[in-house]
Amino acid sequence: MYRGRGSTSNERDQLAGPSNQAPSWPDDDEDIFNDVPMAPAIPDNRELNLFEEETTETPLEKLTRHWLNERFAPDILPAQEALLTNLLDHLRRQSEAVQLLRGDPSSSEEEHIRIMLVQTEVERVKFVVRSYVRTRLFKIERYARFITTNAEIQTRLTAAERDHASRHAKLTDQHFYLSVLQGLPEKQSHLDDTPLFVPPMVTEPDKSRPVFVHALKRCPRIRLPDGSTLEMEKGHMSLMPYSIVEQLLLRGEVELI
Amino acid sequence: MALPQTLRASVTPPELELVASQQLIEIIPMISMEKTAFISGAYGPLRPPNKAKIPLWMAVNLKMKKKCHIVAPDWLTADYLQERLNLETTDLSFSSLPFRFAEIAKVILDVASDDVENPDKIRSLLKDLREARQAKSREGLRTLDHSELTLSNLSSMEINEIRPYFIQSMSIMTQLVRNPAPDPLGHP
Repeated sequence: MYRGRGSTSNERDQLAGPSNQAPSWPDDDEDIFNDVPMAPAIPDNRELNLFEEETTETPLEKLTRHWLNERFAPDILPAQEALLTNLLDHLRRQSEAVQLLRGDPSSSEEEHIRIMLVQTEVERVKFVVRSYVRTRLFKIERYARFITTNAEIQTRLTAAERDHASRHAKLTDQHFYLSVLQGLPEKQSHLDDTPLFVPPMVTEPDKSRPVFVHALKRCPRIRLPDGSTLEMEKGHMSLMPYSIVEQLLLRGEVELI
Repeated sequence: MALPQTLRASVTPPELELVASQQLIEIIPMISMEKTAFISGAYGPLRPPNKAKIPLWMAVNLKMKKKCHIVAPDWLTADYLQERLNLETTDLSFSSLPFRFAEIAKVILDVASDDVENPDKIRSLLKDLREARQAKSREGLRTLDHSELTLSNLSSMEINEIRPYFIQSMSIMTQLVRNPAPDPLGHP
């Protein structure tokens, strides 16, 4: 499980390595990386993509896709808890392997380079994980008040994220009340009243905001705002309002770019 | 802890570079290495002088330690880019290039220009290509409406570049359509 807030420190604890525990490692350090369950092998023709069928995505590729989607989407997308847990686990295992090999003074130059590469990758993946979590956190704080009143959006958050949203909403509410609202007439002292001709004060995701879309497969026909329809072939790229592609995005048929 | 202000509107070129660096590239290793399991997959074994395919970030790392040569992709040659540039300047549509060509070309030219034939020529061709394509994408703003805009063959860096004002323009058009001004002549 990961937490919306404090995930970085949480993750850091996990990554701190085996110094405080004594894992039983195999004696031959040679094969230590090979003992780590590997991600599915990547087909060499990944860039060519000869098949119409989708090639299997590694967990990291999945997270990268979800990270970029989250960065570009105006709304909060469904949390990828299992995927993140899986990658955090993998990160921890790789870091432990690195720590262990580092402690071995007899390792060769070749081994040093291997360690350096594994370490570099760990940092790269950690960057994506952090940026992903922080992007969600930014949206959660921004829409906190809306989240507390909307049941649908709550289904897309993890328990920790929901908790954070309600605490954030409560704190800001209290702050606004104590600093300004309590001094106003009763009629104007609420954040969620809807006077005529005044934009609402509760920030909601703007689903009409356009996004750049890339079709990952042939998509079912969609209806565009001007009334025409569009059937996106695989590889098709478009700019269109988020609300039009929301369902396709949730089904993983398109990605945002 | 939330995402910093500067990153909220869009992704940055270094982030796109990070994504692009995950793509595989061919290298000629100068060290040997056993097959190793990474988070993104298993790479190796490296056996000089046999070519191997590894992610670009790994190749860059090894290259900076002078432990490999990077084999430039087919499209990163003066001839190929010249041909694209000719197409680009004669045809109205965008010529097809790899989606992340700008990032990959930059990374390779930065760290491994000695592994590329004629790097200066390639740099100037890339610059010309960029300018030709940029002119076209600005032209594309003319055809923008509130509904949809198809962008064929645009690369990730180019999309990122046009993102702010294309999104802004389209949002404004959406608002205009949603709240049409009252017809001054009172026609329905």
